[in-house]
Amino acid sequence: MRNRLTPLLAALLVGVTAVAGASARSEATPPLTIYAAASLTEVFRAFDGAQTYSFAGSNALETQIRNGAPADIFASAAPLNTQRLFRAGIVEKPVTFTANRLALIVPKSNPAGIRTIYDLRTKPVKLVVAAPAVPVGAYTLTVLRKMGLSSVLSKVVSRESDVKAVTGKVALGQADAGFVYVTDARPVSDQVTVVRIPAWAQPRVRYEIAVVARSTNKTAARAWINAILSPRGQTALRNAGFLPVPKSST
Amino acid sequence: MSAGPTVGRRTISRRRLLLVAGAAGIGVAASPWSPKALAATDDDLAYANFGLASSFLLADYYGRALQAGRLGPAARPTLQRGRSASTLQARALSGLLTGAGDTPATAEDFEFVFPAASLATAAAIRRTGLTLLNATRGAYQSASATTSESSYRVLFASLAASVAEQVGALAPPGAGVESFPAALELETASAALEAYLG
Repeated sequence: MRNRLTPLLAALLVGVTAVAGASARSEATPPLTIYAAASLTEVFRAFDGAQTYSFAGSNALETQIRNGAPADIFASAAPLNTQRLFRAGIVEKPVTFTANRLALIVPKSNPAGIRTIYDLRTKPVKLVVAAPAVPVGAYTLTVLRKMGLSSVLSKVVSRESDVKAVTGKVALGQADAGFVYVTDARPVSDQVTVVRIPAWAQPRVRYEIAVVARSTNKTAARAWINAILSPRGQTALRNAGFLPVPKSST
Repeated sequence: MSAGPTVGRRTISRRRLLLVAGAAGIGVAASPWSPKALAATDDDLAYANFGLASSFLLADYYGRALQAGRLGPAARPTLQRGRSASTLQARALSGLLTGAGDTPATAEDFEFVFPAASLATAAAIRRTGLTLLNATRGAYQSASATTSESSYRVLFASLAASVAEQVGALAPPGAGVESFPAALELETASAALEAYLG
């Protein structure tokens, strides 16, 4: 009996300590407000569910922060957005924290019969992409240009405000194909099939993160950024399909 | 000095050809060869982007083959020259892309993958090299036939010739000579290299 009670008591003790710890933490430091690229939705929430997030296209978030939105941290899917804010003195010096790749996704039913990206050229396709101002939209244009496939843009039926909107349209079968990050295809892998984009045509997708200069919680914001750069943070990103920080970016 | 490829009445040395393409990145090429003045089509850029990745891949392959040392000392100069040519060709294609207003990839953008068996024996090393080289050569042949700009045509034809030389140098002794090596669609050449480009 005593042997069976000991683990139970130990578990209770750990639970009480954890609750007390979390409570003390929440009293000491309010949650950070993190503005992050839509493609980071799942991984950031899984990495740290205690913070307040706003996920959207990096260009929209950049505009909101520029206009005074109360963010502590900005994580962008393209250096362009963070660097513009850095040059304007709105964020501290950004750091690259992860990378990604693009993929073409088609619904599982694949009504247009897309097997390779080159099929976009020859088959009647309802293609959905993100708007050019959104990082994934700009990266899509790069891929098409690199592959000599810019002509397929005539088949675009919708330009979305962020990558999740593209993913959703394809997953729901409202479009025959769409360009997203490989990490966005994972959560809907039961609804979509990934068509690989060759490595030579991949754009240089780099994510940057920075503390917002007017944050009132800079110490905690910097600690959070250090956490995402730490081995634990990098493992979480890699497990979600993101790529390690390239050597050329460090 | 050996004569290079000819366009119209102009003879271009290999050195000049590389300089023309390479100089694009720093904007010093003089008219009428300034790549900034050239209108690259989507297809031109596609072949150049593919060729750039292939050149980085081939340089990496030659480095690994040298390190493995399985082809013997007689093959070392061939591998060294192949690596040097690949590096120069990457520089030329990078210059072409920069001149066309693109941001070219760098070797660090790729994580090349060579299955252990692909470099395990001398025969495997030759086979792997010939796979990479033949796909690259085939794409360059198509590029030289389809590009609309004469400077690019000359560049791609020279690249095809260089890669074909490398095929000959790397082929096992006694290997036959192909009378008409096949030109490859970019899609086919790309599929052949996909497993190695990571």
